[in-house]
Amino acid sequence: MSDVLNQAIVSGLLIGGLYAVMSVGISLTWGALRIINLAHFSFILLGAYATYQISTSLEIDPLFALLVVIPAGFLAGAIMQIFFELTKVDEFQSLIISFGSVIILQSIIRTIWTADFRRIDRDINPYESMSFFVGDVAIQVPLLLAFGAAVGIALGTSLLLSRSYFGKAVRAIVDDPQIARAYGIDNRRVAVVLSGLATAFSATAGVFIATFQSLSPSISLGWFGIVFPVVILGGLGNAVGALGAGVIVGVAAGVASVQWGPLSASLVTFLILIAALLFRPQGLFTRQGSS
Amino acid sequence: MTRRTKALAGFAVAAIVINLVPALAEALDTPGFYITFMFTAFFWISQAVSWNILTGYSGYFSFGQGAWFGVGVYTTGVLAAKEGWPFLVALPIAGALAAAFGLGLGLVVFRLRKLSGEIFALTTLAVAFVLASVARLYSFIDGGRGIFMTGTPLPEFLGDFRTAMFRMTFVVAFLTVLAAYLLYESRVGWGLFAIRDDEQVAHGLGVPTFRYKMVALGTNAFFSGLMGGVWALQIGFVTVDDVFNIRVPLFVILMSVLGGMKHWMGPVVGAVIIYTLTDRLNSAGLEDVNQIIIGGLLIFLVLAVREGIYLRMRMRWILTLTVFGTAMAVWTFADLATSLIWDFAYASLITLLAVLLPTRQSVARVLRRGGPATPVEASAAERAST
Amino acid sequence: MSLLAGTAIVKHFGGIKALDGVEITIEEGAIVGLVGPNGSGKSTLINVLSGFYPADAGQAAFDGVDLLELGPHQIAAEGLARTFQIPRPFGTMTVLENVALSYMFGQRRHSLADARSAAGEWLGFTGLGEVADSPIDQLTLHQLKFLELARALATEPRLLLLDEVLAGLNPTEVDESIQMIKRIHARGVTLVIVEHLVRVVTALSTTLTVLDQGLVIAEGEPDAVIRQPEVVRAYLGSKWANA
Repeated sequence: MSDVLNQAIVSGLLIGGLYAVMSVGISLTWGALRIINLAHFSFILLGAYATYQISTSLEIDPLFALLVVIPAGFLAGAIMQIFFELTKVDEFQSLIISFGSVIILQSIIRTIWTADFRRIDRDINPYESMSFFVGDVAIQVPLLLAFGAAVGIALGTSLLLSRSYFGKAVRAIVDDPQIARAYGIDNRRVAVVLSGLATAFSATAGVFIATFQSLSPSISLGWFGIVFPVVILGGLGNAVGALGAGVIVGVAAGVASVQWGPLSASLVTFLILIAALLFRPQGLFTRQGSS
Repeated sequence: MTRRTKALAGFAVAAIVINLVPALAEALDTPGFYITFMFTAFFWISQAVSWNILTGYSGYFSFGQGAWFGVGVYTTGVLAAKEGWPFLVALPIAGALAAAFGLGLGLVVFRLRKLSGEIFALTTLAVAFVLASVARLYSFIDGGRGIFMTGTPLPEFLGDFRTAMFRMTFVVAFLTVLAAYLLYESRVGWGLFAIRDDEQVAHGLGVPTFRYKMVALGTNAFFSGLMGGVWALQIGFVTVDDVFNIRVPLFVILMSVLGGMKHWMGPVVGAVIIYTLTDRLNSAGLEDVNQIIIGGLLIFLVLAVREGIYLRMRMRWILTLTVFGTAMAVWTFADLATSLIWDFAYASLITLLAVLLPTRQSVARVLRRGGPATPVEASAAERAST
Repeated sequence: MSLLAGTAIVKHFGGIKALDGVEITIEEGAIVGLVGPNGSGKSTLINVLSGFYPADAGQAAFDGVDLLELGPHQIAAEGLARTFQIPRPFGTMTVLENVALSYMFGQRRHSLADARSAAGEWLGFTGLGEVADSPIDQLTLHQLKFLELARALATEPRLLLLDEVLAGLNPTEVDESIQMIKRIHARGVTLVIVEHLVRVVTALSTTLTVLDQGLVIAEGEPDAVIRQPEVVRAYLGSKWANA
């Protein structure tokens, strides 16, 4: 029994990394640009399908898809932000517009790849069933890769935001966009770059998903219940927080599904969300008063 | 007569006329799909209007419509189809249970000191996912097997299945619109509009914000669940994926944004137009294109017609009636399309385009103030004319 | 008898004590001038008394009821109203509807029909009758500030907290506003005026209360209070520090 529990904790920890990669883009644009871009869910899915397509058509290792997916995701996010800037939308409108984009992207995906399950062939995807043991606990390699990417993204983003000129500009815009502009910060350009980065992260999550999971257009619906608690728990715009929150949600959901069955996992994540909203609306990993 | 008595008289007349429709249809021997078309329209009217009571009036954007609807569907599904309760006994429970879920959510989230609109919106979306997984988890609800509604007996006085659906959806839709109207013209409605504009100030001026938001959320969930309870019959075979999906919230948002969220009639107009157009696109075999059009339309509308078309129609009612009447007459008498529904769809589309054309007035207003015509002006004009 | 008696009111923001045990008494029928350097806690006190910020400790007895236990709408029902320094009208309503709404709620419940005519009276009183049916975005700042007054008055308050009604106005408008404040006071409303223009407040108020660093440092007859050494020090000190 405790073996099963240990396994659940370790797997939950690793999949928490994937949750963090899925959430960090939404968290950044929400926290810094005040835009809840639901289209990130479609970009994750699009990243996954692109990986499937590239890997299957060219018969190459799926991780090579990162070379295409990251720049393409950046471009898509930048274009979306340019659209938001040009139309001068408010928060409510941006929510509706991104919702409309989800509908469009979702039916484009369904038209291209149909509603059937798609999976990268095992011959070209070495990761799917790859795992090794530490003691009695199995470590799944695709999840370990995602976890590594999550750590890289979290540390990289927080370094970028705290050390670079770009990061200082972002924080200035978060504090007060008008004053930032008065000090000569081109906040539109900064927003476009940030949105591009955020979308590139989301698309990257798609690559990892494609390495170990079957794809269908409807799987993205289920992500919502995970990503939202992670974003809130981690604190808006906080990349390291997203990693911590991803791990908490991953472990909690993993343990819950071992103890009370797999379907209880989403109930537990929802309860975590409610608790976070009630007791730490600014996120677990944000210092009090610094909002 | 005051405006309110006039409006209530209008409601009464509408109720009587529409109730005669099934008998009339039988007498004229019209095809059954007309009745189906109408009661599906009633379904959407009720969903859109009830959603707007929360979101349009109070400004709290909700993705939770699918959750309330789903609770309603599964309530009559479990009680009437699985447990064998009389349908009309199970039906009110569907509404009550959905309202209880809504109020339960409100009790938690509206107590949060720093509840932002975004957090509320996403929490309502999460509720739908959780309810879906609960339904999948417990076999006394669904357990992943689905529920057959087809054998559910209905009381004889409701008529055959189609007529019964017509009558029940009509009653629910009628009550929903009536509730939306009565709230709109009441203290609660005004309190909610103040909350929408500036909740903190409203609270300071004496509006009991928590109670009013609960009223809005409870009413929304109640009518959505009640209609969901009826709609379980039309679905026939109820499954989690068909019920708790994004379709219901998507369409009510689209309908209300098109019709206008600041007036009780807006979602009624929006629901009729959107349902008619999507129904025709689907019947022409264009389901996939349909979704893309819907998404594109949503983006276009939220950018182009912020106040919704109902208030525009009202300001330009002569144009609206003339265009619609002419188009309807031309299509009907020239026999351009195969059915009255097609005639209606084309006439609606043409009217929609005519109303969306910019007026000289609105162009001048944009040039002068850099903003679109405000609903305030429309409502001021409306009040001046009564 | 005092209308409002605040004792030991405390409000923190993170580590900062905005109100550090405020003691304040407001007599029925008074015009209390609330002054103090920037950051002394004037606006925080207004926000705490009107229920917008929950207090961390203390009491505020208003006619026997502790305001600090109530929510904003309950405080409005007790007969306390406030205005905002930067006007915050309801943007989708007309001027008349703004005032009608606060009459419908406010201290007593009124019906929608009564509210319209009553709102017209308050607009007449504040000189906004001509713009009654205008949308909000056609009003000048001066008119918006008077709308704030009309809306607060329509709640039929016994105590009205005015947060910098004169800020941003030109001299003529300042004079008009002072006359308006006197007319409101003549109707029997007790007033608390938060203001930067110390000379205007001193001339207008019957009692002057000086806040500094979250504490009331002086309270009493305006001309006497303004000469007290600790008041002079608080003002000059902060002025020199800012310069």
